[in-house]
Amino acid sequence: MAFKFEPDVMVETFPLLLSGVKLTIIITFCGLLIGFVIGVLCGLMKLSKNPLIGKLAGTYVEIIRGTPLIVQVMFLYFGIPMASGLRIPPMTAGVIAIAVNSGAYIAEIVRGAVQSIDYGQREAGRSIGLTQTQTMLYIIWPQAFRRMIPPLGNQFIISLKDTSLLVVIGVAELTRVGQEIIAVNFRAFEVWLTVGLVYLMMTLTISRVLKTIENRIERRGAR
Amino acid sequence: MINIKNLHKSFGDLKVLKGIDLSIEAGQVVCIIGPSGSGKSTVLRCINRLEELTSGQIVVDGYDLYAAGTDINYVRTEAGMVFQQFNLFPHMTVLKNVTLGPIKVRGMSKAEASKLGEELLKKVDLADKAKNYPDQLSGGQKQRVAIARSLALKPKVILFDEPTSALDPELVGEVLEVMKTLAREGMTMVVVTHEMEFAREVADRVIFIDKGVIQVDGPPAEVFDSSKNPRLNDFLGKVGHQQ
Repeated sequence: MAFKFEPDVMVETFPLLLSGVKLTIIITFCGLLIGFVIGVLCGLMKLSKNPLIGKLAGTYVEIIRGTPLIVQVMFLYFGIPMASGLRIPPMTAGVIAIAVNSGAYIAEIVRGAVQSIDYGQREAGRSIGLTQTQTMLYIIWPQAFRRMIPPLGNQFIISLKDTSLLVVIGVAELTRVGQEIIAVNFRAFEVWLTVGLVYLMMTLTISRVLKTIENRIERRGAR
Repeated sequence: MINIKNLHKSFGDLKVLKGIDLSIEAGQVVCIIGPSGSGKSTVLRCINRLEELTSGQIVVDGYDLYAAGTDINYVRTEAGMVFQQFNLFPHMTVLKNVTLGPIKVRGMSKAEASKLGEELLKKVDLADKAKNYPDQLSGGQKQRVAIARSLALKPKVILFDEPTSALDPELVGEVLEVMKTLAREGMTMVVVTHEMEFAREVADRVIFIDKGVIQVDGPPAEVFDSSKNPRLNDFLGKVGHQQ
């Protein structure tokens, strides 16, 4: 039987996907928020003069960056409960996975941005009597943060798409919902096309917002 | 005011300073000259503890800079620093650049600090730029803001690290003018510079450093006009300052 494209299926599918969209957004936001905290902490740890602290953060980054997210997710959801007897709800596991994963990449973003600030800024801060912490807080961080915005936006988009991997632990995010619809209507072409378009809509929105923020910063120069 | 005893500083295997002894009185204007790589900037940076020294002792206003237990953040406020590259804070207005130290370090109220900041900006002839950001200023203006910023902490001495070397020639004068005013007001100043005319006119003492040691130390007329030191004369010849 020849394949016949049915646009009506796409129209019918779209509203059914919305619950998945909601979950995808929630997981992305919560995951990235925690990931940002982890990232800032580990990024600053990597810059520490204490080699042990630096190594600790470095090891975390290497392990997370060097293994596939899907393996991390399954280890977290199936592996750890087996050893500890503690079951983690899929949604929680999803948020933790995104947080821990994005945290490693954000750590590198933070480290790079802080290191990119001219050393003279630090010296100027110290020379007017600011402590190391004050210099970081008032001089280095505000400048570094501006430089973090483009790569952080990039990470935002990556993490949003990464939530689709949570399909393997049964979190009812967008991809999972798509899968379930296909199990009923067998219209893989139309449904995956719709799911893809919905992801694209979300990522394009993020890109747009980022572009606006970046433009605004650029117009104000280095400030 | 500043007492440096047997200062040695190495960067790895490279010995930059090989035993500097120097004593500077309050109110003196001391210019340090010398070829690049001679260690003159390093001496200055050690006085603000921007470098860790290899051996020796530096006492600023009674505080042993490198002794354990010295509150280095406090001592740094006693010695202001003006950098070759200005190092203004680009994300803050000119006024904020000047008031940050008084507010955060001296615990001054915002209103009080603003008043002080505006006074200092007026002193360096930049009262109208208070609300501007550094990237809207010329190099000479930036350096004058940097001087106001260091003055804001009411330091006992200001260290100038080649303050005019990064400036276009036509902007050098305005910065030197401000420095001359400070000198007339009795500020203790240590200036690493290539401006021989400024050194001759303003300095009480000129110090020539080469190869990590002080070669010549004396009043400008003596140093520039009647020194028998062959290295100094060679250096002055190269920078076009003939006797």
